[in-house]
Amino acid sequence: MAWLFVTPVVLGMLIFSVYPTVYSFYISLTRWDLVTEPRFVGADNFVSLFTSDRTFPKALSNTAYFALGASLPGLALALLFAILLNQKIRGRYIYRAIYFIPVIASTVAVALLWTWIYQPQFGIINFVLKSVGMRNPPRWLASIDWAMPAIIIMTIWQGLGYDIVIFLAGLQNISTAYYEAASIDGANGLQQFRHITLPLLSPVIFFAVVMSGIWGFQAFAASYLMTGGGPANATMTMILFLFNQAFRFHHMGLASAVAYCIFVIVIVLTILNFRLQKYWVFYEEGS
Amino acid sequence: MSSRISRRNFLRLAGAGAAATVLVACAPAATPAPAEPDEPAEPEATEVPAAPEPEKVIFSSYSFSGFEQAMDDVFAVWLADNPNVELEAWFAGWGDYWPKLQTQVAAGEPPDVGIGDFSQVVTFAKGRVLAQLDDLIAGDDYPLDSLIQGGVAQYRWAEGDFDTGADGGQMYGLPSDAQPSVFYYNKTMFDEGGVDYPTDDWTWDDLIAAGQALTNPEEDKWGVGFPSMAMGRGCFLYQAGTTAVNEDYTKCLYDTPEGLAAFKYPWDLLHTYKIAPLPGGEAVNPFMSGRVALGSEGVWWIVDFSTITDFEWDMAVLPKNPTTGKGTTAVESDGWWIFREASNLDTAWSLMKFLVSPEGQTVFADLGFVIPPSIPEVAEVRYAQEPPANRGKALQNMLDDSEKFMYTFFESGTINSVVNPILDRAWLEGEDIELVLEEATVAFDEELEKAWELFEA
Repeated sequence: MAWLFVTPVVLGMLIFSVYPTVYSFYISLTRWDLVTEPRFVGADNFVSLFTSDRTFPKALSNTAYFALGASLPGLALALLFAILLNQKIRGRYIYRAIYFIPVIASTVAVALLWTWIYQPQFGIINFVLKSVGMRNPPRWLASIDWAMPAIIIMTIWQGLGYDIVIFLAGLQNISTAYYEAASIDGANGLQQFRHITLPLLSPVIFFAVVMSGIWGFQAFAASYLMTGGGPANATMTMILFLFNQAFRFHHMGLASAVAYCIFVIVIVLTILNFRLQKYWVFYEEGS
Repeated sequence: MSSRISRRNFLRLAGAGAAATVLVACAPAATPAPAEPDEPAEPEATEVPAAPEPEKVIFSSYSFSGFEQAMDDVFAVWLADNPNVELEAWFAGWGDYWPKLQTQVAAGEPPDVGIGDFSQVVTFAKGRVLAQLDDLIAGDDYPLDSLIQGGVAQYRWAEGDFDTGADGGQMYGLPSDAQPSVFYYNKTMFDEGGVDYPTDDWTWDDLIAAGQALTNPEEDKWGVGFPSMAMGRGCFLYQAGTTAVNEDYTKCLYDTPEGLAAFKYPWDLLHTYKIAPLPGGEAVNPFMSGRVALGSEGVWWIVDFSTITDFEWDMAVLPKNPTTGKGTTAVESDGWWIFREASNLDTAWSLMKFLVSPEGQTVFADLGFVIPPSIPEVAEVRYAQEPPANRGKALQNMLDDSEKFMYTFFESGTINSVVNPILDRAWLEGEDIELVLEEATVAFDEELEKAWELFEA
């Protein structure tokens, strides 16, 4: 009977996850424009991505830039805010809710909002920068140098609340006995953070690092909505490149090959993270 | 005997269930068996002729402001003359439309009639997705020459051709409109600057002179908006007497003297004369916000510009290249095409003919929609009479000297996606245009080679 109850879930997974995953690998070995029949070309798509494609290497480096730029500063900021929001301050529940609002906001709405904020002539950021005397503030989304940092800033802003909640949960799980003992021994706040909070929070930080790394390599919406990957491919990410190849240029084989490249990169990074965790992640005994 | 199901049996069961589900989903709808009457039916007193089965036509299009309503109104007129047709129309935004259509095509279930995209004609015609219209055109003695020819060319393709437009091909669609690039000018800025309005004979040099007189960077006022649309359609290349690629589509011509002249002109506006603001990052069209005195845009901007109340504006033909004397504008034409799998070709053709006919286009024009119809007579009578005073310049430029949109050849979208980011460095960073064009030409040639491999596969 038990198998009967799980059948819908298993069938759904087989039909909607396993089959497309396997089939897309087959597609990655073909040339297929959706109009004519797929033609088997072996590993040609993978080879051309790494040898003759001018955009893919840029998309790869941009994605790494985005993943690093959005995850590490984002996690550091989230940890800082989580520690602040973990203090017994008036209205902390309201602050926590406020920080979480962007997480549940539509990315389309957020992207439109930030497009206006970044607008070179009328945007609020440049208005402030000009009012404090900067003559030529960045052109943000229209600048080759500033477009990706601008998207990273927006992404950190939008995702901050999620990591704050994760860290808050971790922080509240640390027994106050450790801090009391440390205080009696004369440890100051920084020492308590260094020797109690960080080690005991490290499993949660590990989880956040792994997840933000995975999400970083899936970056798509902000670039698609705000810059289309430009200017000069400065914000072209791997998923946006995949989307363009599949749905603008009908190169389904190449797009599927990109998908598998992303899959392999994420798998390798995740394994690497798990291998490295023994050097910095501490689990309480018995947990 | 155990009542539990083993894993292997479960997988077998699940597999069989999945297969059965797929088979059931793929099976044609069951035909209801004729009911067996319990007793003989009473003979009917009078024979009522059965109503004919309605013919169904599925229409699809992307949509934008007001377009869907305009189409519904046009359909209503056609359906009044075709009461036996059931028309099912679906619309989607540009971004969603093409993936949905491609999925339908891949599944072998495309609509009957759809909006055509001039940049995909080669791919779709080559893939045998579109119906050839020549027999239908010949059968009806349809007057193709009544349409604007730049638009017609974009839907004509000959087997084996890398691009549309060559003589002697077959028709795979009909143009629904013809959209040239034009210049809009801010009359108020011209008046305040004491500068003469553009004339029909103005040249690139005249534009630069006017731009210099009207530019004031301190006040964020610029003589001209960066003409990305005219450039992206190939206007300046045509005016310089060249095109993007050679005749057999094997070599990019950007780094030829003519190509360099075509690209150096907009580059000079930005970086030599500094009379145009750097492109990109605009939340509001810079002409509309009054930042630029001259804006090169498509004709559809008329509707948005008609809401301007802060200044007066009008329209002008594109300035001529001073060396060649050519003021060519490039026309892009959306259109209508019929899919090869259309359930009823004659009805689909009837709808398409109506959409392109003077009657259909008049209904369209009466709705105040922006796009000039593809028949000059309708455009002259309906379109060109609306304000601003020189709206007819768009039509005049198109009839006097126009070519089809330049980038309609196979894989041109892919090629531009590689080449344009290289050119962006010249526009945005001011990198030397000659060096950038050399790099862009190499990239273009590489991509052309790949495109030919795909084409010949």
